Amino acid sequence: MSRAGELFGIAASGVTSRKVRTLLILLGPVVGVAAMVGAVGLTESAKGDLKEKLAQLGTNLVTAKAAGSFGQQDPTLPKDAVARVRAIPTVERASAVSEITGVITLPAEGSSDFYEAFPVPVLAADDRLPEVLEVPLRSGRWLRPSDRKTHSRAVVIGAGLADQYGFVRGEIRTVTLNGIDYGVVGVLDRVALDPNLDNAAFVTQWSADHDFATEGEPTKLYIRATPGTTSTTNDAIPTAISLGGTNEVTTSIPSDALEASAQADETLQQTALFAGILALAVGGLGIANVMSISVIQRSSEIGIRRALGSTRSLIGLQFLLEALFVGILGGVMGAVVGVGVVYLVASVADWVVVIDYGRMPLWITLAVVVSVTAGLYPSVKAARLEPLETLRLG
Amino acid sequence: MTDTIVAAPLLELTDVSRVYGEQVQVYALREVSLQIHAGDLLAIIGPSGSGKSTMLGLLGVLDRPSEGTVVVGGRDTGTLDDAGRSRLRGDSIGFVFQQFHLIPHLTALGNVETALLFRNIDRSTRRERAMNALEQVGLAPRADHRPLQLSGGEQQRVAIARAIVTDPIMVLADEPTGALDSRNAANVMEIFAGLESNERAVVLVTHDHGVAATANRVVSMRDGEIIDDSRQVPSPFRGSA
Repeated sequence: MSRAGELFGIAASGVTSRKVRTLLILLGPVVGVAAMVGAVGLTESAKGDLKEKLAQLGTNLVTAKAAGSFGQQDPTLPKDAVARVRAIPTVERASAVSEITGVITLPAEGSSDFYEAFPVPVLAADDRLPEVLEVPLRSGRWLRPSDRKTHSRAVVIGAGLADQYGFVRGEIRTVTLNGIDYGVVGVLDRVALDPNLDNAAFVTQWSADHDFATEGEPTKLYIRATPGTTSTTNDAIPTAISLGGTNEVTTSIPSDALEASAQADETLQQTALFAGILALAVGGLGIANVMSISVIQRSSEIGIRRALGSTRSLIGLQFLLEALFVGILGGVMGAVVGVGVVYLVASVADWVVVIDYGRMPLWITLAVVVSVTAGLYPSVKAARLEPLETLRLG
Repeated sequence: MTDTIVAAPLLELTDVSRVYGEQVQVYALREVSLQIHAGDLLAIIGPSGSGKSTMLGLLGVLDRPSEGTVVVGGRDTGTLDDAGRSRLRGDSIGFVFQQFHLIPHLTALGNVETALLFRNIDRSTRRERAMNALEQVGLAPRADHRPLQLSGGEQQRVAIARAIVTDPIMVLADEPTGALDSRNAANVMEIFAGLESNERAVVLVTHDHGVAATANRVVSMRDGEIIDDSRQVPSPFRGSA
């Protein structure tokens, strides 16, 4: 066996032969690495759903709203606002809604007190809205051009409102809007990028004009930009809508808010990561402590090895190798514990587990670096021991 | 006129002093000269504080003299660095201590094998030589026992096997029977008597006259100096005195 192999054997037996001491030393790297793997894994898993949602929804939706001048109530956009934004070359699709004020929507008789206190928003929408939002119908269908032409009183309700109403898929249901019966023809699925729509009722422009006497001016536009041009499209929209007129327009990119929320999670992750590094550093101090005590306890072994011909450097290397083994073992065990914690918490919180296994070598290397650094002082101390002092001659 | 060929000593101390302390200097050894030859079964005897242990440290290349030279196997130890001294120690000297100093987590065989590490000896040869050494001290059947599973006498026999497995030119024993009862002490002294050979010296450092009586040469020390160096006819060990 080579010299290196023999040294490895001695160091390995030093680690495995004193199980309680080794367990104590292992606690530091195990806790540190587990904390770091857990911190990153948990925050990544927590925002994993959000990222998935963002990927599904796309980040190219822009909304435009009329901004009221001082003293102006219920500001609106120009009637041809959709046509104006479609003129922007980077706009793929656009749809408009008009909020109809003063409409009381009741799902059943006897519920007027509640819905008068908390009125359901009623919106006149065009037939392209689900396509622009890229949100499917949970059940039934969306408003059709034929509804407008045939003057049918059809309403689509948001998913939140459907849940509130206890709406069952396929159920024939009428609701009253200011006392006029409307047939529920469909339920729009949840709109992650604009949750206000979840509790709204949608009617055709004909209903808005005929039953509620609106002017048909949109209050909000939903615009899909060509991927990669969201920001420039967002900048161009106010000018395109106002065309030098007096209309003031504010725009926003809803996915930005979701991304900001993900960003907030990253700050949390960094804090947790810092705590993990701190735990590893404290663990390193523990290693240095326990190994220093171990050098004193094993002074007889060191003395006899020196008497039998081991050089100072071989003794130092033996202890440094023991620290290296502790780092590797602790790092791997910590990674396993960290992954276990992420799976456990994710299963309880119903998250999609997101673990970057590519980072594992980094965490384990960090544990090894801390362990070996912590083992330096005890190793030097062991190497410097004089055999004559440790063997206590008679 | 007849020329007499005198064999070179295995170990030679010339005007060796060992001083401790800097401001207040205490001489543990003072200008000691000693030659140890192959075939010597030498007992260094003296009361506590006479300099026996200091002498053992210097003979075993575990310590450096403050003055004088220590030559082992023809090599002046003063010219060697730590690695050279360690190699010389490992190759030339076998140690037996009063407290055995066996490594607790290794078996008897493992402990004996320890002396053969870092010498480019393959594992099977190492095991074979370690087993032979254990057979020499009558402990082959207990090769896989750990120190705690062995009696004091057996532990000391493992230590002797560890000392002789490298085939050193000198075996240094520090109070080898100090921690043993009289029966085990007799066994151990019988083994030491058997180690006497024309190629090796055995040095017993002791304050026990019973042990010293088994040697063929006795060096008496007092206050860091050799006060007597005489040859004698060894007698069998008859217990501590």
